[in-house]
Amino acid sequence: MSFGTVLRAGAVALAMTAPAMAETVKVGVIGPFSGPFSGSFGEPFRQGVETYVAMNGQPADGIEVEFIWRDLQKPDPGQARALAQELVAKDGVQYLAGFVFTPNAIAAAGISQQAKIPTVIFNASASAVVSQSEYYVRTSNTLAQVSVPTAQDALDKGYKTVVTAVSDYAPGVDAETNFAKAFTEGGGEVLESIRMPLSTTDFGPYLQSIQLKKPDALFVFLPYGPPTYSFVNAYRDNGLDKAGIAFVGTSETQEVDLQSLGDAALGLETGYFYSAAHESPENDAFKAKLKELYPNAEPNPATVAAFDGTHALYEMIRATGGKTDPDAAIAAIKGKSWESPRGPITIDADTRDIVQNVYIRKVEKDADGRLVNREYKTYEAQPDFGAQK
Amino acid sequence: MTSFPTRILGDLAVPLAGLILLALYPSQQAFLAQIAITAILVLSLDLVVGFAGLATLGHAAMFGAGAYAAGLYALHVWSEPLTGLIAGALAGAVVAGATALMLMRAHGLTFLMMTVAISQVLYEIVSKARDVTGGDDGLFGFTMQPVLGVWEFDFFGKLAFWYSLAVLWIVFVLLRRLMVTPFGQTVRAIRDDAGRVGSLGGRVYRHRVVVYTLSGGIAGLAGALSAQTVQVVGLSSLSVTYSAEILVMLVLGGTGRLWGALVGTLVFTVIHHYAASIDPVRWMLFIGLILVVIVLFLPGGLTRGIALIHAWLTGRRAP
Repeated sequence: MSFGTVLRAGAVALAMTAPAMAETVKVGVIGPFSGPFSGSFGEPFRQGVETYVAMNGQPADGIEVEFIWRDLQKPDPGQARALAQELVAKDGVQYLAGFVFTPNAIAAAGISQQAKIPTVIFNASASAVVSQSEYYVRTSNTLAQVSVPTAQDALDKGYKTVVTAVSDYAPGVDAETNFAKAFTEGGGEVLESIRMPLSTTDFGPYLQSIQLKKPDALFVFLPYGPPTYSFVNAYRDNGLDKAGIAFVGTSETQEVDLQSLGDAALGLETGYFYSAAHESPENDAFKAKLKELYPNAEPNPATVAAFDGTHALYEMIRATGGKTDPDAAIAAIKGKSWESPRGPITIDADTRDIVQNVYIRKVEKDADGRLVNREYKTYEAQPDFGAQK
Repeated sequence: MTSFPTRILGDLAVPLAGLILLALYPSQQAFLAQIAITAILVLSLDLVVGFAGLATLGHAAMFGAGAYAAGLYALHVWSEPLTGLIAGALAGAVVAGATALMLMRAHGLTFLMMTVAISQVLYEIVSKARDVTGGDDGLFGFTMQPVLGVWEFDFFGKLAFWYSLAVLWIVFVLLRRLMVTPFGQTVRAIRDDAGRVGSLGGRVYRHRVVVYTLSGGIAGLAGALSAQTVQVVGLSSLSVTYSAEILVMLVLGGTGRLWGALVGTLVFTVIHHYAASIDPVRWMLFIGLILVVIVLFLPGGLTRGIALIHAWLTGRRAP
């Protein structure tokens, strides 16, 4: 038997088995699966994706989704680009997903655009991200999207003056700018804008100086974890609550941190896109499955962003029957609406960014004595205010 | 002094290694470009740490300066790549030269602390100057013209790879030549015994400033390459963590030998790459273990190990 015959026989055998085999669609997920950000992003990403898959099975008969996880611990654009390129060229992924840090998402945009890889952003929340590639879709939020309604609510509560205190990095500055703009346009006054270094651990001096200014409210933006704990404790210890300076925040009381904040968090009011206490059958089903798969996991905004991101991937895979057709895939997701565990959401048909409700919540204790973000007011279908300039 | 054919062979090693790597990883050219760029940076670090004997944890300052300079140059002046490289190298050299005037008066731990301090200051400046640098969001929005007007930047990183490899080759060949000149010999003599060189009439301070500036220029060049091939510059390019990471690569390969810089970069990035794709959650543990083993059993780095094996095979004493 000549070599050619062997090849041909092989080809025939392959052709015969092909229809029986499921079509495999590969999705590359880039995120911090190790290192300091794995707890607040990497693990929730994985839990969100796997919960969605466990609840929904495969996208369609004969289509199998395979997720390839790639670790990117910190903002590192060069590494982000290399990982995206490798996933596309070597692993043959049809879709990309993940991305916590803005520079990483922007570095991979060139690959997404030129290789036409539809990509679902699970976090990176600067307004500019989605416009960097025509194949980018976002299922998290932007800072403007949550801070503008939060400012609106502060005005509705009758606060006339605020001091803003944010961590001095891009998300903090974004939050400060958008909050201050919406608040002053609504007739309020920003007495002072404080930017605190990211490494700050003692917030006492800042809070004492704020107390002297006697604003009606204090708008805060802090990164996840320890800085939030010490800030909230300092807010109580310095007696700002008793002095009648209201706490206005966004993601500070998110679920991954909430129980660690303890009773100091009781009564804090924030505006954000997801509360684990959101009352809907979708959220209950999501929480039940998550608990079953990961008994110790908290349903967190990042988990829901990945969960919804997986829904977006499934929509695109179904619309194209698992075949590589990036333009049809992205067309299929534009303008799509569905009921997420967080509430109704839509992918904007023009910007490919998420449109969603922003809820004003208050930290309370539930029947079991656990802290929850109780939603009591809804700003419906909020777009990314940052992009509408 | 090595014989003529050996020297030519040594010069050809870089493109040869590049071709072998390309054959091994044909579809990962962006990754290979990253290795080449990091290798240039680690070579420049070897000038300071290995040849001049000055331990620094602030070398990323010059890399970042070059990267931001090249990015800003492409954004506001001209998106031609080769002049962009010059802009990056100049920025690195200026940062190094200006700080060297102060740094080279310090020694040992004081010197080390000052390198950290300088890179922290630069990091803060770039982080605060959001309007110019983009802060934490990174500097982006520039595109590059084709190299020499012919070769376009492609998303597979083909051009990025050849372009970075070419620059690495030139830098390596020039540094090899430089290290055997009287200047290179003096720098090494200063490392071994600065007091003696001084008493013989050698200008210790001036040599150190020059070699540090040169090293900064090369680091800036690497930064510029990174900016042009990735088209985003992040704050992490200036971080002390990055300085420490490249120092680890150099120590892994072996300080004081140009080969050490190349081998260390290659081995570190390849292991990192494999470990991280096999287990994206626990790979750091593995990298840590390898480093401990190498430091314990091969204190001179991998190239020292190669030299020992070579000596054992030929029956000569290890250099």
